[in-house]
Amino acid sequence: MNDDREPELQGLERRARDTFDASVEALDARTRSRLNQARQRALAAVTAAPASNPARRGWVAWAPAGALAAGVLVAALMLRGPVDSDRAPAVAGSHPAALSQEPLELLAAGEEFEIATSDEELEFYEWVEVAAVDAANGQG
Amino acid sequence: MERWGARVYDMTRFASLDPLVRDGADVAGRSTEETRLDAAHARELDRFLASVERRAFRIAQLALRNVDDAHDAVQHAMLRLAEHYSARPSEEWRPLFYRILYNGIRDIQRRHGVRRRFFGWLPGSSAHADEDAPDPIEQVPDAGPEPSRQLEADEAMAELQRALQRLPARQLEAFSLRCLEGLDVAATAAAMGCSEGSVKTHYFRALQTLRGQLAEVWT
Repeated sequence: MNDDREPELQGLERRARDTFDASVEALDARTRSRLNQARQRALAAVTAAPASNPARRGWVAWAPAGALAAGVLVAALMLRGPVDSDRAPAVAGSHPAALSQEPLELLAAGEEFEIATSDEELEFYEWVEVAAVDAANGQG
Repeated sequence: MERWGARVYDMTRFASLDPLVRDGADVAGRSTEETRLDAAHARELDRFLASVERRAFRIAQLALRNVDDAHDAVQHAMLRLAEHYSARPSEEWRPLFYRILYNGIRDIQRRHGVRRRFFGWLPGSSAHADEDAPDPIEQVPDAGPEPSRQLEADEAMAELQRALQRLPARQLEAFSLRCLEGLDVAATAAAMGCSEGSVKTHYFRALQTLRGQLAEVWT
């Protein structure tokens, strides 16, 4: 502001400034508080932790869901494992589990066991047993 | 002028800054990147914002005549400056801040104008609300250690506000920045987005008008 300005205008400027300064100093506590809050928000916007890469942020967001899905899958496989092995097209007699299941399957099939109903067969089995005992005793 | 000398900056070296802020949309962040500050830089920005916030609020209040709108304008300016211009040299902050502030003030005034135009006939609309809005002059606190002096200051401010609110927008802008905030002509031109000649013209006309209105009251 030029010093060669009319004294009247200089006085006007000075008076306006002083009046304005006084009104600034007289701001109430609520207004000052709101201004302070606004300043803190502005600073927080530029001092907060930088946002991570959006692609990475997306991956991280899906990680818990993925872990949960993986856990459910593992649990399902563990629970359903034996049943699946029953259904597996294993070669008969080549799998211990299959061997152990054979009598049960025969019973479950409901087939008749005629081997025990014939006298000839009973005699045959008795002979087999005696022969086996004799062989074991060396009488063969 | 000596008491305002500390706030006067040599704006001639900010010539490169002018294209960036000439368009209001640029101030809204089109050509700038958001910034993350280290602690020291953040403290410096904090000190700057604390140094201007009250005066900026009063200036916004003079232009908008509404307390909440003034708060919105100041907050918007703080946020924009922090997000988009805080990486610039700190001596550029003041004119940038006021440039953003006045862009925000004009946006608010435009919004109010549109609202008044389309919804002003509705009861309870902003047009009616403006009439019922509390006068910011009345909100100047009157409690103080010396009530008589405070009353005198309040009355002086009320007169100044009435006179300033009769000024055209650009004259009010020039007077507020140049006289009340203490920016020099170059900084005021940078903040207003116009030439220094325009600043001088607006400021001189504002002074002439104010002299006519305040001479009797203040003598």
